[in-house]
Amino acid sequence: MASHTDSRDRGWIAAAIGPALILLLVTAYLPILYALTLAFYKKTAFSPNMSFTGLDNFYWLLGKDDLWAALGKSVVFTLGSVGFQLAFGLFFGLLLNEAIRGRSIMRSLVILPYLLPTIVIGLVFRWILNPEFGVVNQILLQTGLVDRPINFYGGINAAMPSIIITTGWQYGSFAVLLILARLQSINPRLYEAARSCGAGRWRCFTDVTLPNLRTTLLLIALLRGFWMFNKFDLIWIITRGGPLEATETLPIYIYKIAFQDFNFGRAAAGCFVMFTILLVVSAVYFRFFNPTKEIEVNR
Amino acid sequence: MTKKPQMYGLLRPTRRGVLRGGAALGLGLATPSLISRAAWAQDPKKLTFISEESSPKAQAVYDKINADFEAETGVAVTMEYPGFENIAQRVATLIASGTPAELVWYGAGSAMEVALQGQFADVSGLVSDLGIPENLRLVVDGADRSVATSQQFVYGWYRSDLYEEAGLDPYTDWDSYLSVSESLNAPPEMYGTIVPSAQTGAAHLLMETMMQKNDAHWFKLNDAGEYEVALDDPDNMAKVIETLEFLGAAHKFAPEGSNYSWGDLMSQYFTGRVANSYYVGARLLEQTLTNAPDLAPLTKPIALPPKATDNYYLSVQGFHVGLGSNEDAAKQYITFFMNHPAYIEWLHSVPLHIIPAKQEVLLSEAYQDNDVIQQRMDVLEFLDSVWGKGRAPYYWDGDKLNKYVGVYQNDNLGGWMLASMNIGGKSPEEVVQEAAATIREKMEDL
Repeated sequence: MASHTDSRDRGWIAAAIGPALILLLVTAYLPILYALTLAFYKKTAFSPNMSFTGLDNFYWLLGKDDLWAALGKSVVFTLGSVGFQLAFGLFFGLLLNEAIRGRSIMRSLVILPYLLPTIVIGLVFRWILNPEFGVVNQILLQTGLVDRPINFYGGINAAMPSIIITTGWQYGSFAVLLILARLQSINPRLYEAARSCGAGRWRCFTDVTLPNLRTTLLLIALLRGFWMFNKFDLIWIITRGGPLEATETLPIYIYKIAFQDFNFGRAAAGCFVMFTILLVVSAVYFRFFNPTKEIEVNR
Repeated sequence: MTKKPQMYGLLRPTRRGVLRGGAALGLGLATPSLISRAAWAQDPKKLTFISEESSPKAQAVYDKINADFEAETGVAVTMEYPGFENIAQRVATLIASGTPAELVWYGAGSAMEVALQGQFADVSGLVSDLGIPENLRLVVDGADRSVATSQQFVYGWYRSDLYEEAGLDPYTDWDSYLSVSESLNAPPEMYGTIVPSAQTGAAHLLMETMMQKNDAHWFKLNDAGEYEVALDDPDNMAKVIETLEFLGAAHKFAPEGSNYSWGDLMSQYFTGRVANSYYVGARLLEQTLTNAPDLAPLTKPIALPPKATDNYYLSVQGFHVGLGSNEDAAKQYITFFMNHPAYIEWLHSVPLHIIPAKQEVLLSEAYQDNDVIQQRMDVLEFLDSVWGKGRAPYYWDGDKLNKYVGVYQNDNLGGWMLASMNIGGKSPEEVVQEAAATIREKMEDL
C-alpha cells in the first residue's frame, strides 16, 4: 500500500515539475552544455563539421594580449558602472525617502530609464552626445566651455567614461528601487535612539542608515556586477567596442571572435573563461561578504 | 522512530539511475541535431531565400516574383531579411547548424569566404547563360560561385552650390581635393569633407578605395603564385603611407566624429554639414532626396580623386546557391528572377543605387523609364563613363582570386589604420607595420 502511494506521489511530482524541467533543460542547460563543449572543438561557421582539439582554443586565447586588455576594460567598466549605479541609487534613494513635494512623481520618473528598451537608450544617447548635432555639445559650444565639440563616444579617452555614465544612468534606477525599499523598512526608533544620544544627520547616516543598507548594497553590487560584466548590447549599439578598442570589453571581444572571425570554438573558450571568472568572483563574494548575515541593530 | 524523508530520482543516485540519466542526456544532446537535420531534409517544393535587401520596395518586388515563381513551378519561396549588418552571420550560422539556405543574395566579397570553404554550389552554367560580365565573376576552385545581379562603385558626391559660390572647380586630383576641402571648411557650421576614422565599413572602404587610386596593394603574388603581404614592402609601403598622409590631411577638414557608419555619413551630408562626401553607390542621393529635397538637385556625382590609377572600388551583389541544398530549384529561381519583367522594377527600388550587372540594361529604355533616373541623367552618364573601371577587392592584387581579402576586410583594417593615425596619433609608418603584422598573424591562424 505504501509503495503504491509512493509511486503515485512520484507520478504527481514528475507530472508537476517534469514539463518545467524539460523546458529548462532544452532552453537553458543544453545550450550551455553545448557551448562549453564547443570550447574543446575546432568549430568554424562555414562548416557543420567539428574536430576535437583539446585545450588548443584555451592556449590560443590565453596567449592573446587582446584577451587581457579586454578583461582589464571589463573590470574598469564593471567597477565604474556599478560604482556609478550605487552612488546614483544611494543619492536618489535617500532623496526620495524624504518627505518632499512631488515624491510620487519623482519616484516614477526615476524608474523610467530602467523601463526603456536598451536600443532606445543607445540611440538617444548617441544623439544627445553627438559631436555635431548633440544637445550637450551645442550647450558646451554656446556657453564657450569648449572651442570644438567633444567626441564623447568617439574619443579614445572619453569613450569609456561616457559608456559608464550611460549604463550607470540606465541601471541606477534598479539600485534606487532596492535602496528605497530597504530605507522604508528601517525602524524609525533606531534614528530616535541615535538622536537622543546626540547623533547628527551624518552620524545617523553612518551609524544607522549605512549598516542597515549593507546587505542591500552588497546585493546590488553582486547582481549589477555580474550583469555589467556580461554587458554587451548597449556597448555594441553605441561604440561597437571602439574607438580603437577603447570600450572593447570581454563580451564584445568574444562576440568579434565568433561573428567577425567566425570561430565558434574559440569564442566558446572565451565564454568558458568569463564563466570561470564570474564563478570565482561569486565564491569570493559569498565567502567574505555573507549577504544573508543581517545586522544586529535591526532586531 | 521518524521515517527519513523519501528522496526521489536525481537526489539519490543509483547505478541504474546514472545509466538511465546518461542515456537521457545523450539523447537530449543529440536531439537538436536530429531535429535540425530532419527539418533540413530537402523539400523540392520549398526554397529558403536570405536577402541583404532592406528596401521595402525591393522586398515587394521579391514578393511579386516569388508568387509568379510558385504559380509556374509549384515551388514556394520563404524570404528572410537579416539586414546588411547581420547577413554574413546568418548565412554562417545556418551552415554551421547543417541547414544551409538554398539562396543567398548579398555581396560577392562576403560570399567568397563561404565559397572558399566549399559551401556554395557551382553556378558556372548560369553565369555563362546569363552573360554576366567578366569583372563581376567570382571564381573559386575553377567554378563560378556567384551570379551577379548588380554592382556599385565607390565615388564622391559634392555640393555644387558651395563650389559655385566660392568660385571653385570640382577637384580632379589629390592636391585640388585638399585645396577645395580647405577652402570650403568653416567649422562647426560647415566642413570641407568627411573622413570617418573608425573600425567601420565606411572608413575601411574609403581607405581601400584611395589605396586603389594610388596603386597601393595589400598583397602581391609571389614567384610560386601565392599571395603574400605587400603592405610593408618598401615601394608599396611608401604608397600606403602616402595614402594615409593624404587622408590624414583631409581629416583636418572633417567633422569630429570618429565612429561614423554609413548612416552617419549620409546624415552629415543631407543636414548640410559637409561640402564633399562619398558613398558606395547612390543611396546618399536617395537619402538626400528624401530628407533634404532642396539639396538633392545641388548634389552632384564625382570620381574620388585619382593619383596613380583611375580604378573604382567595385562591390558586386548576386545570388549564391547553398551546396547540398535544393540546388536545382534555386538555380531555376535565379534564371526566373533575372528574366522576369519585374527585375527592372527591382533595380528601380533604389534608383541609380542598384546598378545592373550588364551595361546594356543600364542603357535600356526600360531601365531609364523612371522619374528619378530621368531627373538625374547626369548620374547615369557618370556611371556609364566609369563602366568597366571597377575592380573587386579580391582581384585587386592580382588576376588570381585573393582568398585572404577577408583577413583585412572582416574587421575593417583600413578603418583601423585611419583611426590609429587620425584619432590614436600613431605615425603612418607605425600604422602600416602594425597592419601588416596583424594580417600575417591572421594568415598564420587560418
